[in-house]
Amino acid sequence: MKIRAILLDTARELLYRRTLLFYFGVVTLTHLILLLALQTDVANGVISSVRVFGLEGHPQSSGFALDNRQAAGALGLDAERLVTMVQFVIACFLYPTGILLSLFATASLVPHMLEKGTIDLLLSKPISRPTLLFARYLGALLIAGANLVYLVGGVGTILAFKTGVWNWGFLLSGLLMTAYFGSILAFMVLLGVVFRSTTIGMMMTAIIYVVGAMVRLAHDYADWPMLITSPVARFLTRATVEVLYHVLPRTYAVGQMATSLILHRPIDSWMPVLATLGSGAAALGAAIVLFRRIDF
Amino acid sequence: MRALDGLDLTVPRGAVFGLLGPNGAGKTTLVKLALGIAHPSGGEVRILGRPGGDVAVRARVGYLPENHRYPAHLTGAQVLDFFGRLSGLPEPARSLRVEGLLRRVRMEEWRATPVRKYSKGMMQRLGLAQAILNDPDFLILDEPTDGVDPVGRREIRDLLLEQKARGATIFLNSHLLSEVERLCDRVAILKSGKLVREGGIDELTRTKSAWEIDVRAPSAPALAAIVAATPGLRPAPPAAGAAAAGTTMLEIEGAAADMNRALDALRAGGVGIDAVRPRRESLEEVFVKVIRDGDAG
Repeated sequence: MKIRAILLDTARELLYRRTLLFYFGVVTLTHLILLLALQTDVANGVISSVRVFGLEGHPQSSGFALDNRQAAGALGLDAERLVTMVQFVIACFLYPTGILLSLFATASLVPHMLEKGTIDLLLSKPISRPTLLFARYLGALLIAGANLVYLVGGVGTILAFKTGVWNWGFLLSGLLMTAYFGSILAFMVLLGVVFRSTTIGMMMTAIIYVVGAMVRLAHDYADWPMLITSPVARFLTRATVEVLYHVLPRTYAVGQMATSLILHRPIDSWMPVLATLGSGAAALGAAIVLFRRIDF
Repeated sequence: MRALDGLDLTVPRGAVFGLLGPNGAGKTTLVKLALGIAHPSGGEVRILGRPGGDVAVRARVGYLPENHRYPAHLTGAQVLDFFGRLSGLPEPARSLRVEGLLRRVRMEEWRATPVRKYSKGMMQRLGLAQAILNDPDFLILDEPTDGVDPVGRREIRDLLLEQKARGATIFLNSHLLSEVERLCDRVAILKSGKLVREGGIDELTRTKSAWEIDVRAPSAPALAAIVAATPGLRPAPPAAGAAAAGTTMLEIEGAAADMNRALDALRAGGVGIDAVRPRRESLEEVFVKVIRDGDAG
């Protein structure tokens, strides 16, 4: 009952802030566009015609074009290819948008909870500190996750309804991004506990998001530190890159895996997901340990 | 710097206990230690026989912090429902309790209004309702009448007396000394983290060597003559309070023998004695004296 109370309160607070409602609106608009504007005729798994806002689509050597010419006969476009293409484009735009908006929306949850006058009341109730913080984290994750599930579930269902093609990879990619969000959210919770500031927490989490993507290049191209002449500076740079690579959520690799799932490309290793989940769990654990010890 | 130093304090069960002290004396720190909101560097706080901060103990405690804040997105009824859930109150008892308490603190009209629109007094009423939501055995209140008008203060006082009658122990932290004096059985005064005075209200406010005497004199000049002739006897200052109609209040400082000599002189002069009582200081006078002069009684 107590965890449910925190979850319910977190949901109410997020709805009150309206950032996630905005994202919900964007996703709903995407659904409506797909539902109303995209018309396909499929025969034997092959698209015979595609119309977007009434414009006929034609496959070309360089890709796909839309114009108002009436097409005659089959286009020869594979229905599965069309679905994965649309989902890939949606994922490229709405996954990062969803994660960033979810971070903006949830950034104040922990700092607000730790404000004087609020935390005193919460800690006076018969609920342990770890449960309180974890429930707050879980509430934010569930609401943001529900938005991502709404995105992929809606897009997946509408496209399946239009083309008869179910792309389970797209649904899995949504779960993967939810897991990634769970990890980066844990870092934001930790920063919230340490700094008790929405602005600092949000800025540093955005930095983690970007550095988590960039550090992968520095890690993969191991020779570049050779440009640094000082051996000490070179060692420190390498060490920093390796520490960041192993400690932070792996933004780039997880994003790449999500697109691989959508496009049915083989995935070499699930290690980046495990590492991302591990770093998130460590961040959340550190936040809970710290929260238990703080005097308010 | 130590926020609390060598503090040894016991709050009797069923009592209304007032904790007084200037700003920075350590009053709020003590409350936070008791509830596990802060951790002591040494020593321990026990509530209802168990360590302070224990989750099971907190289920039996009600708390109204100073400057409490509620989530701005909640209405008054939602605030109580939220804290009722956190306190483990099951349905349908929780809903009944919430509605009953909103009526009790005269907030039922505002039940569906977001708390961000509440005035300070309304927040205090809601806060008090929140604090007694779980029928606590131990109620800790930090400035419960802060920002409340005199009528509201009276209502809060009545509510606290109801809680006392129910058997709850009340720990009150307030700067409104007149409220503390009216409500509390016992009082402790903290200064710089140390306990400087503790006792019952009667005990703390009684002046050891001064008495007030209500007299009924045959004439004012006769009384003036007796007063002038008796060492230590004088008319009570107006601040001491009004005597009953037709009587005059005198006061005498000195030993009990001096007081008896004065009574003999008054009787010998044909003056009627209506009442003799030890003179009391107000709690505010005691507090100021203790804090300013370091008088430990």
